[in-house]
Amino acid sequence: MQKYILQFIYSFVLRIFLKLIVGVKFDDASFLEKEEQFVILSNHNSHLDTLSIMASLPSSIIERVKPVAAGDYFGRNKLVSWFSRFFINAVLLERNGVSKQSKGSPLAVIEKAIDEGYSLILFPEGTRGQPEKMKTLKRGIGIVLSKNKHVKYVPVYLDGMGKNLPKGETLIVPYNAKIKYGTPKTVVSDDSKEIMTQIEHDILTLKAELH
Amino acid sequence: MFEKIFQFEVFNNNDLLSVIGLIFGILTFASLLFFAIGKIKPEWNISELKSRTRSWWVMSFIFIIATMFSNTISYIAIAFLSFVAFRELYSILGFRDSDRYAILWAYFSIPIQYFLAYIGWYGAFIIFIPVIMFLLIPLRLVLKGDTKGIIKSMSSIHWILMLTVFGLSHMAYFLSLPEIPGFENGGRGLLLFLVFLTEINDVLQFTFGKIFGKRKIIPSISPNKTWEGFIGGLICTTFIGYFISFLTPLSTFEVLFASFMIAFAGFSGDLVMSSIKRDIGVKDTSTAIPGHGGILDRIDSLSFTAPAFFHFIYYLAY
Repeated sequence: MQKYILQFIYSFVLRIFLKLIVGVKFDDASFLEKEEQFVILSNHNSHLDTLSIMASLPSSIIERVKPVAAGDYFGRNKLVSWFSRFFINAVLLERNGVSKQSKGSPLAVIEKAIDEGYSLILFPEGTRGQPEKMKTLKRGIGIVLSKNKHVKYVPVYLDGMGKNLPKGETLIVPYNAKIKYGTPKTVVSDDSKEIMTQIEHDILTLKAELH
Repeated sequence: MFEKIFQFEVFNNNDLLSVIGLIFGILTFASLLFFAIGKIKPEWNISELKSRTRSWWVMSFIFIIATMFSNTISYIAIAFLSFVAFRELYSILGFRDSDRYAILWAYFSIPIQYFLAYIGWYGAFIIFIPVIMFLLIPLRLVLKGDTKGIIKSMSSIHWILMLTVFGLSHMAYFLSLPEIPGFENGGRGLLLFLVFLTEINDVLQFTFGKIFGKRKIIPSISPNKTWEGFIGGLICTTFIGYFISFLTPLSTFEVLFASFMIAFAGFSGDLVMSSIKRDIGVKDTSTAIPGHGGILDRIDSLSFTAPAFFHFIYYLAY
């Protein structure tokens, strides 16, 4: 049931809305259907980022791709948390270290989702930043990837989303935006710092290709 | 309800049908020609021409379906065209973050302008963007309180509105013009006349320029604009306008003048858009139409020809 609702929302309604009204130019992501398990890593400027990436996915794999969302916002109460899990298909992550409810590392929820075979959408910057500027990447996903070498990562660059709906604003002002996919890559290094440097480089390469 | 929205009188109108037939005839000829050239001379690289022609097919179909069968849909379709063109120009020009709300107001003016065209309120239609939005946009910018670079924002936002909304909305107003006794083609005929001549002029100037082009008109703006292309297009377009003059209620002399004016205005629009692209250092405004570039690269001439032809005909015939 959830699968069909997600397909209807993202692959149909939101895709048309984002394409026609907001002005998002989607990249071809059909190659993801062939990938077993992957983590999409992207820069983060806007609430539209997650929605756009979800809408760009091939509809057949949409329910096995879970966006990692901030638990303190998207899980701030039971209703919001249910809504995020059902309609955004989200994995809720506690951002501020170890919180009251979760036991152990905040990465545990990500590792659990990976173990269950889900693919993920994650913004390694941790939070939405200024348009066109990238913050230092958080190392968490590097640690997870170094332990799960069978999971590939897919770098994605989102251009112009922060102009459409910047942080702190509630209204969308349409602006031609783009999603650019890079090729899936396997992690070789065991050092999470080295992995993150490589990921940052991959995302910035995509940015350079666009401009 | 269905009959109210959709009108199929185009099938009983031989004038409109023959021009639509002419459009598809030209497209078929071009497709066959490029197919033959591709087979005979594969070493000539004409893939750009082929993709241009394919896009022309798509655009012609969309235009004819959007404008010939339903008035209501025509207004919405042209309004959407304005919206996409506005968004494209806004996205490449580069604005301050504090301009967002003024831009949002500008977006909201699009449905209002087309609604005024739809209800046929000429007085409001003609002053809404040149006067009312001209006053409102600076006000909205001032309320935000960011004065650094405010003059650039004030002028560019209004300029984009004039080019992509005010100019193009004249296309929609053709459909709201009152009926003239004895002239059956009405607004649809005039709209078809305008769009066909504008686009054929673009194509002819491009073709003449490619084949005979030597002397550049303004090399600092566009290396592709040559005297040969410009004059060849001007003469041929005037000639074609004479042949399809049955779409208009104009006399022979008036139709020749109108066609000449469309060719000249179309050229100017093209040139102005090229200069903007030069200024911000892009080749195309986006990649929306394969072979052509962005929506703006295609409608730049229309936003000049539409008001020019509209006011010419409004003065003479209405």
